[in-house]
Amino acid sequence: MPYLGGEETVRELRRALSNPNVQSDPLRYRNTILKVIRTMSQGVDVSGLFSEMVKACATVDVVQKKLVYVFLCSYATLNPELSLLVINTLRKDCQDPNPMVRSLALRNMTNLRLPSLVEYVEQPLTAGLRDRAACVRRVAVLGWAKLHNLHPSSEIDAAVVNELYSLLRDPDPVVMVNCLRALEEILKEEGGIAINKPITHHLLNRLKECDIWGQSEVLRVLQRYRPQSEDELFDILSLLDSFLVSPHPPVMAATLSLFLSISSNLPVISLAALERVSGPLLAACGSGSREMRFAAVCHIQLLLRSVPGLLGPHYKRFFCGYAEPAYIKERKMQVLVELVNDENVAMILDELKGYCTDVNTDTAQAAISAIGRIGRSYSDRCLQILTGLLGLKQDHITSAVVQTMRDLVWVCPQCSDTVCLALDGCEETLQDIQGRQALLWLLGVYGERISTAPYTLEVLIDRVRSEASLGIKMELLTATMRLFLCRPAETQDMLGRLLHYCIEEETDMCVRDQALLYYRLLHCGIEKTREVLQGRRSDPSLGVLIGRPAKPVSQWARCFNTLEPLSQGAVEAESDRSDSAMRCSDSSTNVLASSIAVDCAWIEECVRCPAVLHCSPQSLQAAMQLVNIQTLAFTPQQMLPWRVYLYTHTQLRVSEDGQEEEEGIKVILNQQPKDDDALRQFLTILITVLNTLGDTGQAQVY
Amino acid sequence: MIGGLFIYNHKGEVLISRVYRDDIGRNAVDAFRVNVIHARQQVRSPVTNIARTSFFHVKRSNIWLAAVTKQNVNAAMVFEFLYKMCDVMTAYFGKISEENIKNNFVLIYELLDEILDFGYPQNSETGALKTFITQQGIKGQTKEEQSQITSQVTGQIGWRREGIKYRRNELFLDVLESVNLLMSPQGQVLSAHVSGRVVMKSYLSGMPECKFGMNDKIVIDKQGKGGASDDAGKSDLGGGSGKQSIAIDDCTFHQCVRLSKFDSERSISFIPPDGEYELMRYRTTKDIILPFRVIPLVREVGRTKLEVKVVIKSNFKPSLLAQKIEVRIPTPLNTSGVQVICMKGKAKYKASENAIVWKIKRMAGMKESQISAEIELLPTNDKKKWARPPISMNFEVPFAPSGLKVRYLKVFESKLNYSDHDVIKWVRYIGRSGIYETRC
Repeated sequence: MPYLGGEETVRELRRALSNPNVQSDPLRYRNTILKVIRTMSQGVDVSGLFSEMVKACATVDVVQKKLVYVFLCSYATLNPELSLLVINTLRKDCQDPNPMVRSLALRNMTNLRLPSLVEYVEQPLTAGLRDRAACVRRVAVLGWAKLHNLHPSSEIDAAVVNELYSLLRDPDPVVMVNCLRALEEILKEEGGIAINKPITHHLLNRLKECDIWGQSEVLRVLQRYRPQSEDELFDILSLLDSFLVSPHPPVMAATLSLFLSISSNLPVISLAALERVSGPLLAACGSGSREMRFAAVCHIQLLLRSVPGLLGPHYKRFFCGYAEPAYIKERKMQVLVELVNDENVAMILDELKGYCTDVNTDTAQAAISAIGRIGRSYSDRCLQILTGLLGLKQDHITSAVVQTMRDLVWVCPQCSDTVCLALDGCEETLQDIQGRQALLWLLGVYGERISTAPYTLEVLIDRVRSEASLGIKMELLTATMRLFLCRPAETQDMLGRLLHYCIEEETDMCVRDQALLYYRLLHCGIEKTREVLQGRRSDPSLGVLIGRPAKPVSQWARCFNTLEPLSQGAVEAESDRSDSAMRCSDSSTNVLASSIAVDCAWIEECVRCPAVLHCSPQSLQAAMQLVNIQTLAFTPQQMLPWRVYLYTHTQLRVSEDGQEEEEGIKVILNQQPKDDDALRQFLTILITVLNTLGDTGQAQVY
Repeated sequence: MIGGLFIYNHKGEVLISRVYRDDIGRNAVDAFRVNVIHARQQVRSPVTNIARTSFFHVKRSNIWLAAVTKQNVNAAMVFEFLYKMCDVMTAYFGKISEENIKNNFVLIYELLDEILDFGYPQNSETGALKTFITQQGIKGQTKEEQSQITSQVTGQIGWRREGIKYRRNELFLDVLESVNLLMSPQGQVLSAHVSGRVVMKSYLSGMPECKFGMNDKIVIDKQGKGGASDDAGKSDLGGGSGKQSIAIDDCTFHQCVRLSKFDSERSISFIPPDGEYELMRYRTTKDIILPFRVIPLVREVGRTKLEVKVVIKSNFKPSLLAQKIEVRIPTPLNTSGVQVICMKGKAKYKASENAIVWKIKRMAGMKESQISAEIELLPTNDKKKWARPPISMNFEVPFAPSGLKVRYLKVFESKLNYSDHDVIKWVRYIGRSGIYETRC
């Protein structure tokens, strides 16, 4: 983006550069060039000065050379013809007795990024590989990678590749690491550098000589190596053990990554490595720089997926500092939620309670929802805190609390009594859409237990004309309908008004259609309406959705020590989303679904397959996925009746509701639109799957 | 690997940009500025993904350092690298601040060239780098004392190089002061202080030794009254009062000034850097010449009308001219209309700023001028009384309100054959208003 007044400056600089008086005084000349670079870095387009700068390149002054090279490398691609003039000077410099000048020339020759110059560059680069000075070799090795990058399609001479392989044995560790890097880029098509046993052992032996960048590079490349014997594997592991507790987080993380990949078949070793690394990781969490802290906490979240109990005793390390940025606080709270157990729950809740009144509203809301998630296992204490927060009458806090309560009663219906009591009066403080929507949902579902529910709704109905949000209107409709079913006398009048408004005056089609649907539903009679609106809302026994099972290390080992854990949305957020998706289907879609249910097929089948009970939910899920059947939810294994909700969408929509009885499985199929053939087909597939799972016993269809 | 490195100031202006790999386009620099630095909400994460490009940033004071990459790199390593980069820069030129980066950008380009090649970290140890780097760091003032110790030990002068030559030896001395005042409606000075700077531009050949003298009270008392025999005689441009010396509360110097000599003899001697620099900063609180007095008169006529009369008096030599005078008279929030009559200059009611702004281009010393305004108010039932913010003033006067005078600035250069008399010296005093307020 050129700034104003750029042209003027460029003209002035050109005048100065071509002034013979300036050119004869090296100091003034250098200062003028300095000015050019300065304007360049300010964003002014100084490409017009290219020919003047090329002339300035021919000098013995190293400082001036460096300055001119900075300029040339930025603008060479715009002036390929003029750049040819520089190449001679550069090639001459490659013969200079001073190794610094040689490496400088070589580096900039490759930095020009001009495909047309490749032929001139190859010869000095080849010579550079055999240079006496290490700094020239370093540059030359990477130079080949740059050349390859210019012409990714062209083949690099096999002789050069061989030479690079042999330079892996160079006495200078940086040259060695650069060779690795260059070969990785040049041989990308073939899957990178060939890692065989001699190379691996050589690299491992020289690991100590490298600096931390080199070490992490080598460790990353070695991940591809597969030890041939168990002895070799253990040799490597014991050699790397000291790196696992390196004070440099990148090296430590790279070592752990290598450990996990080469010992992927030996879970015991992976676990031992995780335990050993927990110390340095915790240290990184307390490091002075916030970005490193953030990276460490994100990686710890990954570890906790597999070993939830790993850092239990160290939960205090994840308490947030006052001045920490919001992003670290949020991640730390997510870790805290994972670490909750019977002993520390009081402490953690106490700490989280402190964060709820944070100045930053995002942090405060994250803290509140963290408390909500702990509430799934320790509901009483959490509800107490949440109710207390309502007393503060702060709109963002109230909104977050109401949303959290809604999420909580969805999974823990036993909390509903406390929630109903707490809701009284919070409609006045609620401002934002999400919070009000949550409140409306709660009022609709638990209307019979909240005495003031009709009055709260009435106020909103009176104001519905000025309501801007679509979501609120929809939620208001459903809530009023539900309330009408349990308290008809108080609600009838306002429901009439609301329906009238929505059908006659509302411009939004979505709201209008919903209102029409309810209106027609009411025509079908109160029983039908009740059936549709008060269908099963939540299942108290849907345990698996809440407590995630420990995942195998291999699931995340690949993305450990990369960008992924940092950018990944929180794991919890994902499960929250699935929760709210379910709830959403509850409040509006299920009305549609069940209203159509009239003309869809219901089939009840009994499959005799006792073995299913004994196989783990994971294997069931995996098996189902093979045949494109989605497992929506299932109850914990010990529960009776044991239920699975399945869903598929091949040609039709079939949802299945399996109920385990004593000996067999009762399968309830719910299909739409009706198609008997497809239904039979689905059933046979399902039975085959269940049979393979059980592998003993014959499945019988009654 | 790192595709590029950018350094921005707090406004998002690019100070340094260095691209190492072709996959990073030129628009990446702007993408980070728009999406992160200028974003309305707080920083969400130190890693930002914009159009498949990842930006890693760290902040040092108000400088943003961003590393850009398109690959799925090792995040911890990139951050570690950025820290290392900061360490190296600190080792070279002190604190990472906008000024230091601007002063050292050539050095930074050089460092970036050596530390990273094709996006791969090469050499990050300060000691090892020294052999490859040709530039010297220009340190900021925070490192002042430290560098002074080294220069005293080694006898080396970091801020001036040998062999500077000028045909005409010249030096310019500017005394720049800003005067701050808070005055009660009755004309009592509640607080007043002057913070000043002595800025010097020197174009002198060789390695000149300079000695700077001013009417510092301690020095004058030591020498006995009227002992200023070596007064350069150029400084008689000063303000109204004829006082001889001033008391300086505190002062700091450029690193070139020999502090040991100042502590023992209170003399300021130094080898000046070439070009423009700030020689000293000081602060005084006693015997300040207040260039203007503001006399406010506010009368409330009923509930909907307010009469304001403000008189300003200039209090310095009649031969001097003050410039850029601006008086800002605040008005209540419920002002509906204003009529202004002023004898001199132009006055305007600015509703958006809730103030009457009265501007006078020039005004000589020992004069007075007045403005009267009738302010009509909308009736409100607001019980809170108008808080009456103070009347503030801006101006520029050609003397030092602290009373500081340059007595001499002597130049000695033993090796080259020019003497103190051959140097052309210019002295200028500028007094500006800082926060100059009178309550009404």
